[in-house]
Amino acid sequence: MNAQKGSFDAEFTQPIIRTGMWTLLLAVPFSFFPALYLWWQYGAIPTVKTILTAWFMIVSIYGVEYFMTPISYFPILGISGTYMAFLSGNIANMRVPCAIVAQQVVGVEPATKEGEIVATLGMAGSIITNLIVVTIAAIGGSYLLSMFPPIILEALNYVLPSIFGGLFAIFAVRHPKYAVFAIAIASILLGVIKVLPVWLVVVLCSFSTIGFALFSSRGKFSDEDNGETA
Amino acid sequence: METATHYLEIANDPMMWVMAIPVVSLVAIQAWLFTVRSYKSAPLVNLSHQQCRQAFKVGAVSAIGPAVAVFIVMVSMMAVVGAPMTWQRLAIIGAAPTELTATTMGAKAMGIEVGSPEYDVTAFASSVWTMALNGCGWLVFCGLFTHKMDKVMHKVTGGSMRLMAEVCGAAVLGTSGYLATAQSMISSPHLSAVIAAALSMALLGRFSPKWLKEYELGIAMIIGMVAAIITLKAQ
Repeated sequence: MNAQKGSFDAEFTQPIIRTGMWTLLLAVPFSFFPALYLWWQYGAIPTVKTILTAWFMIVSIYGVEYFMTPISYFPILGISGTYMAFLSGNIANMRVPCAIVAQQVVGVEPATKEGEIVATLGMAGSIITNLIVVTIAAIGGSYLLSMFPPIILEALNYVLPSIFGGLFAIFAVRHPKYAVFAIAIASILLGVIKVLPVWLVVVLCSFSTIGFALFSSRGKFSDEDNGETA
Repeated sequence: METATHYLEIANDPMMWVMAIPVVSLVAIQAWLFTVRSYKSAPLVNLSHQQCRQAFKVGAVSAIGPAVAVFIVMVSMMAVVGAPMTWQRLAIIGAAPTELTATTMGAKAMGIEVGSPEYDVTAFASSVWTMALNGCGWLVFCGLFTHKMDKVMHKVTGGSMRLMAEVCGAAVLGTSGYLATAQSMISSPHLSAVIAAALSMALLGRFSPKWLKEYELGIAMIIGMVAAIITLKAQ
């Protein structure tokens, strides 16, 4: 159907934007089906005031993350990655590592067109795995869990530090200078300052490292440019 | 006590599964559509079908570890909101802690604690509304503005591919550096896991043979977990 060499934008990016938009926006009404069913079948509906109060409470906790998390991850995920990651969730522990490992294995650079396709496929693979596991868990649940040996259950507590360590190493090898900077900033914010909310720490870590990268790579090409403020 | 059992019976009502299907299917459909689009566009950037297959496979294999870890959290969430809601919520944006916070807020808005005898079907419905409303924050923002973020990104980098790659690398290091540091501070087994996984990933990246490449992250994760358990037992 494609065969002729159209532009990458027309062949990939534009269709992805269309699909991404309708899938995410359609997920909004779909999310309310269980709530509506409880109302319709059991007459279980809180008052409007209760719903608004609960909404206000939850937005005061996560509201900033609605836009700060997508913005912070955008330089990593790109367009297609953002649509996928913010529909399916599990961003830091699954989507980002899987996208990056896929790029590394296939041997393509991030932030290139081939890198975007490979990352999209890597994430799609991880989404399918996740859906399968989540479905098995929902059906088999606690029965399956009881079949895990205790040592495995204990070891699974350490999946997160392992995956974050591995992910960090992939890029630390390529950009050791930024790696040192990133660890230094994170250690200062988490170990010395301590009081900042999580979303702000993430934003500061991500954007100060980006700022540092822009600053140091611009220095290579021209002295005219000013460094940007974070 | 009777009301408490009652709400979980309703939460596990077979029709609740049916109500959860659309969201879960949408995630699968999106992944499928994006996969098809990637395969079709691959020739434009000289990627072979085999490379596409490999990318998909690496993603699928590397996700096994983290997905199984989610499994364990899921089981505890199922005890609170039932299996169908857990299935729906954990297939999309919002991890278990986020969803349980929303569950709690939904109940609190009615002046009720989750798990108390007063937590009835209406309170459960309030939790369900709150989880849905919360998840929509990300869905609406990304649904509407993702393509705009791309324009901003291009402006920042002046469209230079090389600079984009630097920015991407720096962003991964900034966020994963934060995540790894935060994990390291939890306990010494956590710290060992971070260090062992990072070192093995770096070594594997350099020295592993071709056939092993696809399993690199999985292997590094296993080494990290083993190191953590050894540290834990040695304490």
